[in-house]
Amino acid sequence: MRSGVLKPAEKPIWYDVYVAYPPKRAPVYVKPLTRPSPKNANTVPEIFYSEDKVRAKFYEQYGTGPRPLDLSKVNFISTCQRFVDRYMELKSHNEQYDTALFEETGKALLQDGIVLRRRGFPVVDSLQVKVVAEPRSVG
Amino acid sequence: MAARALTRGLLGLRHCQAVSGVSYCGGHQYVTAASANSPQLHIDEVTEKILNAPLDKPDFFRVSELFSLKDLFEARVHLGHKKGCRHRLMEPYIYGCRLDHDIIDLDQTVEHLQQALNFTAHIAYRGGVILFVSRRRQYSHLVETTAKDCGEYAHTRYWQGGILTNASIQYGQGVRLPDLIIFLSTLNNVFQQHVAIRDAAKMNIPTVGVVDSNCNPSLITYPVPGNDDTPVAVELYCHLFKMTINRAKNNRKQMDMIHGLSAPSPQSS
Repeated sequence: MRSGVLKPAEKPIWYDVYVAYPPKRAPVYVKPLTRPSPKNANTVPEIFYSEDKVRAKFYEQYGTGPRPLDLSKVNFISTCQRFVDRYMELKSHNEQYDTALFEETGKALLQDGIVLRRRGFPVVDSLQVKVVAEPRSVG
Repeated sequence: MAARALTRGLLGLRHCQAVSGVSYCGGHQYVTAASANSPQLHIDEVTEKILNAPLDKPDFFRVSELFSLKDLFEARVHLGHKKGCRHRLMEPYIYGCRLDHDIIDLDQTVEHLQQALNFTAHIAYRGGVILFVSRRRQYSHLVETTAKDCGEYAHTRYWQGGILTNASIQYGQGVRLPDLIIFLSTLNNVFQQHVAIRDAAKMNIPTVGVVDSNCNPSLITYPVPGNDDTPVAVELYCHLFKMTINRAKNNRKQMDMIHGLSAPSPQSS
Protein backbone atom coordinates (compact mmCIF):
# COMPACT_ATOMS: atom_id res chain seq x y z
CA MET A 1 0.00 0.00 0.00
CA ARG A 2 2.87 2.39 0.65
CA SER A 3 4.04 2.01 -2.91
CA GLY A 4 0.61 2.94 -4.20
CA VAL A 5 -0.26 -0.35 -5.85
CA LEU A 6 -3.36 -0.73 -3.68
CA LYS A 7 -5.52 2.33 -3.22
CA PRO A 8 -6.59 3.25 0.35
CA ALA A 9 -10.16 2.33 -0.48
CA GLU A 10 -8.97 -1.16 -1.40
CA LYS A 11 -7.27 -1.89 1.87
CA PRO A 12 -8.28 -5.19 3.44
CA ILE A 13 -10.68 -5.32 6.36
CA TRP A 14 -8.09 -6.53 8.82
CA TYR A 15 -5.49 -3.84 8.12
CA ASP A 16 -6.73 -1.24 10.61
CA VAL A 17 -7.29 -3.86 13.25
CA TYR A 18 -3.80 -5.27 12.73
CA VAL A 19 -2.26 -1.79 13.05
CA ALA A 20 -4.27 -1.10 16.20
CA TYR A 21 -3.60 -4.48 17.83
CA PRO A 22 -0.38 -5.96 16.47
CA PRO A 23 0.56 -9.47 17.57
CA LYS A 24 3.37 -10.08 20.04
CA ARG A 25 5.55 -11.53 17.35
CA ALA A 26 5.38 -10.64 13.66
CA PRO A 27 4.41 -13.77 11.68
CA VAL A 28 7.70 -14.21 9.87
CA TYR A 29 8.79 -17.67 8.84
CA VAL A 30 11.70 -19.01 10.85
CA LYS A 31 13.59 -22.05 9.67
CA PRO A 32 13.80 -24.42 12.62
CA LEU A 33 17.47 -25.37 13.06
CA THR A 34 17.83 -29.12 12.93
CA ARG A 35 21.23 -29.38 14.58
CA PRO A 36 20.81 -29.04 18.34
CA SER A 37 23.51 -26.67 19.56
CA PRO A 38 25.02 -27.43 22.98
CA LYS A 39 24.23 -23.89 24.16
CA ASN A 40 20.45 -24.21 23.86
CA ALA A 41 20.28 -27.71 25.24
CA ASN A 42 18.08 -26.98 28.27
CA THR A 43 15.83 -24.05 27.45
CA VAL A 44 12.78 -25.82 28.86
CA PRO A 45 13.22 -26.45 32.59
CA GLU A 46 12.22 -29.70 34.19
CA ILE A 47 9.50 -29.39 36.79
CA PHE A 48 10.34 -31.12 40.06
CA TYR A 49 9.06 -30.38 43.52
CA SER A 50 10.68 -31.18 46.87
CA GLU A 51 7.71 -33.46 47.68
CA ASP A 52 8.63 -35.63 44.69
CA LYS A 53 11.16 -37.49 46.86
CA VAL A 54 8.37 -38.48 49.23
CA ARG A 55 6.13 -39.44 46.31
CA ALA A 56 8.84 -41.56 44.73
CA LYS A 57 9.40 -43.48 47.97
CA PHE A 58 5.65 -43.92 48.48
CA TYR A 59 5.17 -45.41 45.02
CA GLU A 60 8.18 -47.63 45.45
CA GLN A 61 6.94 -49.08 48.72
CA TYR A 62 3.20 -49.07 48.44
CA GLY A 63 2.38 -48.95 44.73
CA THR A 64 -0.52 -46.73 43.69
CA GLY A 65 -2.39 -47.17 46.95
CA PRO A 66 -5.73 -48.74 47.84
CA ARG A 67 -7.99 -46.13 46.20
CA PRO A 68 -7.96 -45.84 42.38
CA LEU A 69 -7.10 -42.43 40.93
CA ASP A 70 -10.11 -40.57 39.61
CA LEU A 71 -8.77 -37.82 37.36
CA SER A 72 -12.15 -36.62 36.09
CA LYS A 73 -12.66 -34.66 39.31
CA VAL A 74 -10.68 -31.42 39.44
CA ASN A 75 -9.92 -31.34 43.15
CA PHE A 76 -9.27 -35.02 43.56
CA ILE A 77 -6.76 -35.87 46.30
CA SER A 78 -5.23 -39.31 45.81
CA THR A 79 -3.86 -41.52 48.58
CA CYS A 80 -0.35 -40.49 47.60
CA GLN A 81 -1.24 -36.83 47.90
CA ARG A 82 -2.77 -37.34 51.35
CA PHE A 83 0.39 -39.15 52.39
CA VAL A 84 2.54 -36.30 51.14
CA ASP A 85 0.41 -33.69 52.88
CA ARG A 86 0.57 -35.57 56.17
CA TYR A 87 4.31 -36.05 55.76
CA MET A 88 4.84 -32.33 55.25
CA GLU A 89 2.68 -31.54 58.28
CA LEU A 90 4.63 -33.89 60.52
CA LYS A 91 7.91 -32.60 59.16
CA SER A 92 7.02 -29.03 60.03
CA HIS A 93 5.97 -30.04 63.57
CA ASN A 94 8.95 -32.18 64.57
CA GLU A 95 12.43 -32.57 63.15
CA GLN A 96 12.95 -36.30 62.54
CA TYR A 97 14.86 -38.36 60.05
CA ASP A 98 13.19 -39.28 56.79
CA THR A 99 12.71 -43.00 57.39
CA ALA A 100 11.25 -42.49 60.85
CA LEU A 101 8.96 -39.80 59.49
CA PHE A 102 7.87 -42.20 56.77
CA GLU A 103 6.80 -44.76 59.34
CA GLU A 104 5.05 -42.08 61.37
CA THR A 105 3.00 -40.97 58.37
CA GLY A 106 2.05 -44.56 57.62
CA LYS A 107 0.79 -45.01 61.17
CA ALA A 108 -1.06 -41.68 61.07
CA LEU A 109 -2.87 -42.68 57.90
CA LEU A 110 -3.69 -46.08 59.41
CA GLN A 111 -5.43 -44.23 62.23
CA ASP A 112 -7.42 -42.35 59.61
CA GLY A 113 -8.60 -45.63 58.17
CA ILE A 114 -6.39 -45.96 55.09
CA VAL A 115 -4.58 -49.28 55.02
CA LEU A 116 -1.33 -49.14 53.10
CA ARG A 117 -0.18 -52.48 51.79
CA ARG A 118 3.46 -52.92 50.86
CA ARG A 119 4.32 -53.99 47.35
CA GLY A 120 5.66 -57.51 46.84
CA PHE A 121 4.15 -58.89 50.01
CA PRO A 122 1.27 -61.30 49.35
CA VAL A 123 -2.11 -60.47 50.79
CA VAL A 124 -2.10 -63.02 53.58
CA ASP A 125 -4.82 -63.12 56.23
CA SER A 126 -3.99 -64.69 59.60
CA LEU A 127 -7.33 -66.62 59.54
CA GLN A 128 -6.41 -68.39 56.29
CA VAL A 129 -3.22 -69.75 57.80
CA LYS A 130 -5.18 -71.29 60.71
CA VAL A 131 -7.69 -73.01 58.41
CA VAL A 132 -4.89 -74.66 56.40
CA ALA A 133 -3.02 -75.78 59.55
CA GLU A 134 -5.97 -77.61 61.20
CA PRO A 135 -6.36 -80.54 58.74
CA ARG A 136 -2.62 -81.19 58.98
CA SER A 137 -2.72 -81.51 62.72
CA VAL A 138 -5.62 -84.00 62.38
CA GLY A 139 -3.80 -86.09 59.70
CA MET B 1 -17.84 -32.07 0.86
CA ALA B 2 -21.06 -30.46 2.03
CA ALA B 3 -19.12 -27.87 3.97
CA ARG B 4 -17.08 -27.00 0.94
CA ALA B 5 -20.14 -26.68 -1.26
CA LEU B 6 -21.67 -24.46 1.40
CA THR B 7 -18.53 -22.34 1.41
CA ARG B 8 -18.60 -21.97 -2.34
CA GLY B 9 -22.22 -20.98 -2.48
CA LEU B 10 -22.02 -18.57 0.44
CA LEU B 11 -18.78 -17.00 -0.71
CA GLY B 12 -20.57 -15.92 -3.84
CA LEU B 13 -23.61 -14.68 -1.88
CA ARG B 14 -21.60 -12.73 0.68
CA HIS B 15 -19.90 -11.02 -2.22
CA CYS B 16 -23.21 -9.43 -3.15
CA GLN B 17 -24.00 -8.14 0.34
CA ALA B 18 -21.08 -5.79 0.65
CA VAL B 19 -20.85 -3.25 3.43
CA SER B 20 -22.84 -0.17 2.45
CA GLY B 21 -20.68 2.36 0.69
CA VAL B 22 -17.24 0.99 -0.11
CA SER B 23 -17.01 -2.72 -0.84
CA TYR B 24 -13.94 -4.57 0.38
CA CYS B 25 -13.28 -7.34 -2.07
CA GLY B 26 -10.14 -9.39 -2.27
CA GLY B 27 -8.34 -8.07 -5.30
CA HIS B 28 -11.31 -6.58 -7.13
CA GLN B 29 -12.52 -3.07 -6.52
CA TYR B 30 -16.05 -2.19 -7.45
CA VAL B 31 -16.52 1.53 -7.88
CA THR B 32 -20.04 2.39 -6.83
CA ALA B 33 -21.57 4.72 -9.37
CA ALA B 34 -23.46 6.63 -6.68
CA SER B 35 -20.33 7.59 -4.76
CA ALA B 36 -20.58 11.18 -5.93
CA ASN B 37 -23.96 11.79 -4.28
CA SER B 38 -24.01 13.53 -0.87
CA PRO B 39 -26.24 11.07 1.03
CA GLN B 40 -23.78 8.34 0.02
CA LEU B 41 -20.90 10.46 1.37
CA HIS B 42 -22.75 10.97 4.61
CA ILE B 43 -23.27 7.24 4.94
CA ASP B 44 -19.58 6.73 4.23
CA GLU B 45 -18.63 9.08 7.05
CA VAL B 46 -20.98 7.43 9.49
CA THR B 47 -19.69 4.00 8.48
CA GLU B 48 -16.12 5.15 9.00
CA LYS B 49 -17.01 6.46 12.42
CA ILE B 50 -18.70 3.20 13.36
CA LEU B 51 -15.76 1.19 12.09
CA ASN B 52 -13.05 3.21 13.78
CA ALA B 53 -14.73 3.82 17.14
CA PRO B 54 -13.85 0.46 18.74
CA LEU B 55 -10.18 0.69 17.77
CA ASP B 56 -9.36 3.26 20.42
CA LYS B 57 -10.05 1.09 23.43
CA PRO B 58 -7.81 -1.90 24.24
CA ASP B 59 -10.67 -4.30 24.92
CA PHE B 60 -13.80 -2.87 23.36
CA PHE B 61 -15.66 -6.18 23.25
CA ARG B 62 -14.55 -7.22 26.75
CA VAL B 63 -13.24 -10.56 25.56
CA SER B 64 -11.06 -10.95 28.64
CA GLU B 65 -14.21 -11.51 30.68
CA LEU B 66 -15.12 -14.59 28.67
CA PHE B 67 -12.49 -16.84 30.23
CA SER B 68 -10.05 -17.03 33.13
CA LEU B 69 -6.84 -18.87 33.82
CA LYS B 70 -8.74 -21.33 36.01
CA ASP B 71 -11.10 -22.17 33.11
CA LEU B 72 -8.10 -22.91 30.91
CA PHE B 73 -6.54 -25.09 33.58
CA GLU B 74 -9.73 -27.06 34.14
CA ALA B 75 -10.08 -27.57 30.41
CA ARG B 76 -6.56 -29.06 30.47
CA VAL B 77 -5.25 -26.52 27.96
CA HIS B 78 -1.84 -26.57 29.61
CA LEU B 79 -1.08 -30.18 28.69
CA GLY B 80 1.31 -30.54 25.80
CA HIS B 81 2.80 -33.54 24.07
CA LYS B 82 5.90 -35.45 25.12
CA LYS B 83 9.40 -34.01 25.12
CA GLY B 84 10.39 -35.89 21.97
CA CYS B 85 7.53 -34.33 19.97
CA ARG B 86 8.37 -30.80 20.95
CA HIS B 87 8.88 -28.24 18.20
CA ARG B 88 11.89 -25.97 18.73
CA LEU B 89 9.91 -22.81 18.04
CA MET B 90 7.38 -23.66 20.76
CA GLU B 91 10.01 -23.62 23.49
CA PRO B 92 9.37 -20.02 24.61
CA TYR B 93 5.70 -20.86 25.20
CA ILE B 94 6.38 -23.93 27.33
CA TYR B 95 6.50 -23.54 31.09
CA GLY B 96 8.39 -26.71 31.83
CA CYS B 97 8.63 -30.44 31.40
CA ARG B 98 7.19 -32.75 34.06
CA LEU B 99 8.47 -36.30 33.63
CA ASP B 100 8.78 -35.78 29.86
CA HIS B 101 5.32 -34.19 29.48
CA ASP B 102 5.40 -30.58 28.27
CA ILE B 103 3.37 -28.10 30.27
CA ILE B 104 2.35 -24.97 28.36
CA ASP B 105 2.70 -21.63 30.14
CA LEU B 106 -0.87 -20.54 30.81
CA ASP B 107 0.06 -16.93 31.62
CA GLN B 108 1.27 -16.50 28.07
CA THR B 109 -1.71 -18.42 26.74
CA VAL B 110 -4.09 -16.03 28.47
CA GLU B 111 -2.46 -13.02 26.82
CA HIS B 112 -2.32 -14.63 23.40
CA LEU B 113 -5.89 -15.84 23.61
CA GLN B 114 -7.08 -12.37 24.57
CA GLN B 115 -5.32 -10.86 21.59
CA ALA B 116 -6.69 -13.53 19.26
CA LEU B 117 -10.28 -13.16 20.50
CA ASN B 118 -10.03 -9.40 20.31
CA PHE B 119 -8.83 -9.60 16.73
CA THR B 120 -11.64 -11.99 15.70
CA ALA B 121 -14.18 -9.73 17.40
CA HIS B 122 -13.01 -6.72 15.42
CA ILE B 123 -13.00 -8.64 12.16
CA ALA B 124 -16.52 -9.91 12.83
CA TYR B 125 -17.58 -6.38 13.74
CA ARG B 126 -16.41 -5.16 10.35
CA GLY B 127 -18.35 -7.88 8.58
CA GLY B 128 -15.37 -10.01 7.67
CA VAL B 129 -15.62 -13.57 6.42
CA ILE B 130 -14.21 -16.01 8.95
CA LEU B 131 -13.21 -19.54 8.06
CA PHE B 132 -12.76 -22.27 10.69
CA VAL B 133 -10.25 -24.93 9.67
CA SER B 134 -9.50 -28.13 11.49
CA ARG B 135 -8.39 -31.43 10.07
CA ARG B 136 -9.15 -33.44 13.21
CA ARG B 137 -11.93 -35.84 12.42
CA GLN B 138 -12.90 -36.11 16.08
CA TYR B 139 -14.01 -32.49 16.19
CA SER B 140 -15.10 -32.03 12.60
CA HIS B 141 -18.80 -31.97 13.50
CA LEU B 142 -18.25 -29.68 16.47
CA VAL B 143 -16.33 -27.16 14.38
CA GLU B 144 -18.97 -27.19 11.67
CA THR B 145 -21.80 -26.62 14.15
CA THR B 146 -19.83 -23.81 15.80
CA ALA B 147 -19.38 -22.10 12.44
CA LYS B 148 -23.06 -22.53 11.66
CA ASP B 149 -24.06 -20.99 14.98
CA CYS B 150 -21.86 -17.95 14.34
CA GLY B 151 -23.03 -17.52 10.78
CA GLU B 152 -19.49 -18.06 9.52
CA TYR B 153 -17.81 -20.78 7.50
CA ALA B 154 -15.91 -23.98 8.20
CA HIS B 155 -13.68 -26.28 6.21
CA THR B 156 -12.92 -29.55 7.95
CA ARG B 157 -12.40 -31.82 4.97
CA TYR B 158 -9.47 -32.50 2.68
CA TRP B 159 -7.89 -29.22 1.63
CA GLN B 160 -7.43 -29.07 -2.12
CA GLY B 161 -4.28 -27.30 -3.22
CA GLY B 162 -5.77 -24.29 -4.93
CA ILE B 163 -8.63 -23.26 -2.68
CA LEU B 164 -7.08 -19.92 -1.73
CA THR B 165 -4.31 -19.50 -4.28
CA ASN B 166 -6.30 -20.62 -7.30
CA ALA B 167 -9.70 -19.40 -6.18
CA SER B 168 -10.63 -17.37 -9.24
CA ILE B 169 -10.15 -20.35 -11.52
CA GLN B 170 -11.65 -22.97 -9.22
CA TYR B 171 -14.68 -20.97 -8.10
CA GLY B 172 -15.13 -18.44 -10.87
CA GLN B 173 -14.24 -14.77 -11.10
CA GLY B 174 -14.83 -12.30 -8.30
CA VAL B 175 -14.80 -14.66 -5.35
CA ARG B 176 -14.48 -13.14 -1.90
CA LEU B 177 -11.77 -14.87 0.08
CA PRO B 178 -11.97 -15.20 3.86
CA ASP B 179 -10.68 -12.26 5.89
CA LEU B 180 -9.62 -14.42 8.81
CA ILE B 181 -8.83 -18.10 9.14
CA ILE B 182 -9.12 -19.76 12.57
CA PHE B 183 -7.31 -23.05 13.07
CA LEU B 184 -8.60 -25.29 15.82
CA SER B 185 -5.66 -27.56 15.02
CA THR B 186 -2.76 -26.48 12.83
CA LEU B 187 -1.69 -29.99 11.86
CA ASN B 188 -3.25 -32.23 9.28
CA ASN B 189 -3.80 -35.95 9.65
CA VAL B 190 -0.18 -36.79 8.83
CA PHE B 191 1.15 -34.49 11.58
CA GLN B 192 2.49 -31.97 9.08
CA GLN B 193 1.69 -28.31 9.05
CA HIS B 194 -1.65 -27.56 7.39
CA VAL B 195 -1.33 -26.22 3.86
CA ALA B 196 -3.80 -23.45 4.64
CA ILE B 197 -1.31 -21.69 6.94
CA ARG B 198 1.15 -21.24 4.11
CA ASP B 199 -1.56 -20.32 1.63
CA ALA B 200 -3.10 -17.75 3.94
CA ALA B 201 0.31 -16.14 4.40
CA LYS B 202 0.68 -16.03 0.62
CA MET B 203 -2.73 -14.41 0.13
CA ASN B 204 -2.26 -11.90 2.97
CA ILE B 205 -5.01 -13.38 5.09
CA PRO B 206 -4.42 -13.13 8.85
CA THR B 207 -4.61 -16.37 10.81
CA VAL B 208 -5.47 -17.27 14.37
CA GLY B 209 -4.50 -20.76 15.46
CA VAL B 210 -4.27 -23.06 18.45
CA VAL B 211 -0.68 -24.32 18.43
CA ASP B 212 0.21 -27.39 20.44
CA SER B 213 3.75 -28.22 21.52
CA ASN B 214 4.46 -30.10 18.28
CA CYS B 215 3.33 -27.28 15.93
CA ASN B 216 5.22 -24.50 14.14
CA PRO B 217 3.89 -21.11 15.28
CA SER B 218 6.06 -18.94 13.06
CA LEU B 219 3.64 -18.27 10.19
CA ILE B 220 0.50 -17.78 12.26
CA THR B 221 -0.43 -14.15 12.93
CA TYR B 222 -1.99 -14.68 16.35
CA PRO B 223 -0.92 -18.06 17.71
CA VAL B 224 -2.54 -19.38 20.87
CA PRO B 225 -0.32 -21.95 22.57
CA GLY B 226 -2.55 -24.63 24.02
CA ASN B 227 -3.76 -28.20 23.89
CA ASP B 228 -5.55 -29.16 20.69
CA ASP B 229 -6.20 -32.82 21.47
CA THR B 230 -8.46 -32.97 24.53
CA PRO B 231 -12.22 -32.73 23.82
CA VAL B 232 -12.75 -30.38 26.78
CA ALA B 233 -10.16 -27.95 25.47
CA VAL B 234 -11.51 -27.93 21.91
CA GLU B 235 -15.06 -27.42 23.20
CA LEU B 236 -13.81 -24.48 25.22
CA TYR B 237 -12.14 -22.89 22.21
CA CYS B 238 -15.23 -23.36 20.04
CA HIS B 239 -17.40 -21.86 22.75
CA LEU B 240 -15.10 -18.84 23.15
CA PHE B 241 -14.88 -18.11 19.43
CA LYS B 242 -18.62 -18.48 19.04
CA MET B 243 -19.28 -16.07 21.94
CA THR B 244 -16.88 -13.42 20.61
CA ILE B 245 -18.18 -13.52 17.06
CA ASN B 246 -21.80 -13.33 18.14
CA ARG B 247 -21.03 -10.52 20.56
CA ALA B 248 -19.23 -8.54 17.87
CA LYS B 249 -22.01 -9.00 15.34
CA ASN B 250 -24.72 -7.99 17.80
CA ASN B 251 -22.65 -4.94 18.68
CA ARG B 252 -22.45 -4.02 15.03
CA LYS B 253 -26.20 -4.35 14.55
CA GLN B 254 -26.78 -2.13 17.56
CA MET B 255 -24.38 0.51 16.26
CA ASP B 256 -26.05 0.47 12.86
CA MET B 257 -29.45 0.99 14.40
CA ILE B 258 -28.24 3.70 16.77
CA HIS B 259 -26.73 5.68 13.95
CA GLY B 260 -29.91 5.29 11.97
CA LEU B 261 -28.46 3.50 8.98
CA SER B 262 -30.73 1.54 6.68
CA ALA B 263 -31.99 -1.74 8.11
CA PRO B 264 -29.35 -4.47 7.83
CA SER B 265 -29.70 -6.68 4.77
CA PRO B 266 -31.38 -10.03 5.50
CA GLN B 267 -28.91 -12.56 6.81
CA SER B 268 -28.47 -15.63 4.65
CA SER B 269 -28.38 -18.72 6.83
